[in-house]
Amino acid sequence: MTTMQNMLKNPDANLVLALADDLLMLGHVQGDWTGLGPILEEDIASSSMAQDDLSHALVLYEHLGAHFGIDADVIAYERDIADYRCCDLVTLPDEFDWAVAFVRRWVISHWAAPVLDRLTKSDDQDLAERCLRLRAEQSLHLTYLDDWMHRLGSGPDEGRTRIQTALDTIAEHAGMVMEVPDRDLADIEAFCCGREELFNEWTTAMNVVLEHAGFTMTFPLPALDAFGGRRGTHAPHFHEQHAEMTEVRCADPGATW
Amino acid sequence: MVSHEGILSAVYATLADIPDPELPCSIVDLGLVEAVDLDAACNVNITLLPTFTGCPALDMIADDVTRLVGALDMVESCTVQWVFAPPWTTDRITDNGRKSLRAHGVTVPEHGPMQPAGDGTTPLRTSAIPCPWCGSANTRLESPFGPTRCRTIQYCDDCQNTFEDMKRLSEE
Repeated sequence: MTTMQNMLKNPDANLVLALADDLLMLGHVQGDWTGLGPILEEDIASSSMAQDDLSHALVLYEHLGAHFGIDADVIAYERDIADYRCCDLVTLPDEFDWAVAFVRRWVISHWAAPVLDRLTKSDDQDLAERCLRLRAEQSLHLTYLDDWMHRLGSGPDEGRTRIQTALDTIAEHAGMVMEVPDRDLADIEAFCCGREELFNEWTTAMNVVLEHAGFTMTFPLPALDAFGGRRGTHAPHFHEQHAEMTEVRCADPGATW
Repeated sequence: MVSHEGILSAVYATLADIPDPELPCSIVDLGLVEAVDLDAACNVNITLLPTFTGCPALDMIADDVTRLVGALDMVESCTVQWVFAPPWTTDRITDNGRKSLRAHGVTVPEHGPMQPAGDGTTPLRTSAIPCPWCGSANTRLESPFGPTRCRTIQYCDDCQNTFEDMKRLSEE
């Protein structure tokens, strides 16, 4: 087996990859909003969070790279499409509707928090230390995003309607966040933690905010054998975003600047 | 023949003169330097802590350190290593660093234990931070994300100036 296959067959690595790939693709997609945020402060925030996401993905790829003997950039850019473990919610087109982009990020940030909490308790000290750092930085995102949700909830009807519509749209896809990422280890251990427990923690934290803000979003935990992006069966929009993200790398392998 | 201590003090003096590229503060005053290790062959390894993982200045800082420390006569080679433990916090900023930042309109949260984040979130400091320009407490958070990863933008309603505040991260 190649070193890459060793990594892809490792259940623990798959959870790290799922999170890292979510953050990589979200950071890439969210970069489209730079210069286009609805207000200046949000433009800065959105770009800053995208920058954080890319660096957080790198911190996780560097950990995997050191563990499995693979360059972090190779992990990020040179895997087969089917080996990307991100869920396809992160690349769901937002059509430059800020409400959709905002809710998409809010849902992923809320998922990243309990996953990072679990990884900070890893037996692997290097991974635990890295995730403790990332958790603290992602907390700043969560605080900011939850604050927006509260502000929008107490605001005028137009904003309330647009956010609830976006929540309804995202709810149709949010379950895919919980897809089990490993193709060959499709059992409870493949997610490194109790799947239902993680799902409940994630959705409960979101519902606390939504209830306070006067919004609703419900979606079920998908079946254990649900098949989608996390298992490499990606939607066309992932392929498009991946092609764009890897364009420079493909055009000039090994380029530095 | 320069003593072990002599080399170390020259290394520290060099580090104390290396500014953070984005702040009016040296990397020592900012609390980035965690350890300086010197072996018998005069190879130096410097352990640094990143402020924020996404800080684009990290590579520049590492380059400055390896170049300037490596250029010291008695140093054979210099390498830099970034580590995540202990996590960097604003508590690591020295009094000298705080003074310099404040003179440039950047405030730093007081030393002390972090407010417990019971719900898993770290509150951005939204209470009135004394304005570094006029001292007024009539200030408010203007933008939770600022010019760099580590700063928020605040506004003073009395002197009508903006200033920046270093973000406080949770500790465990």
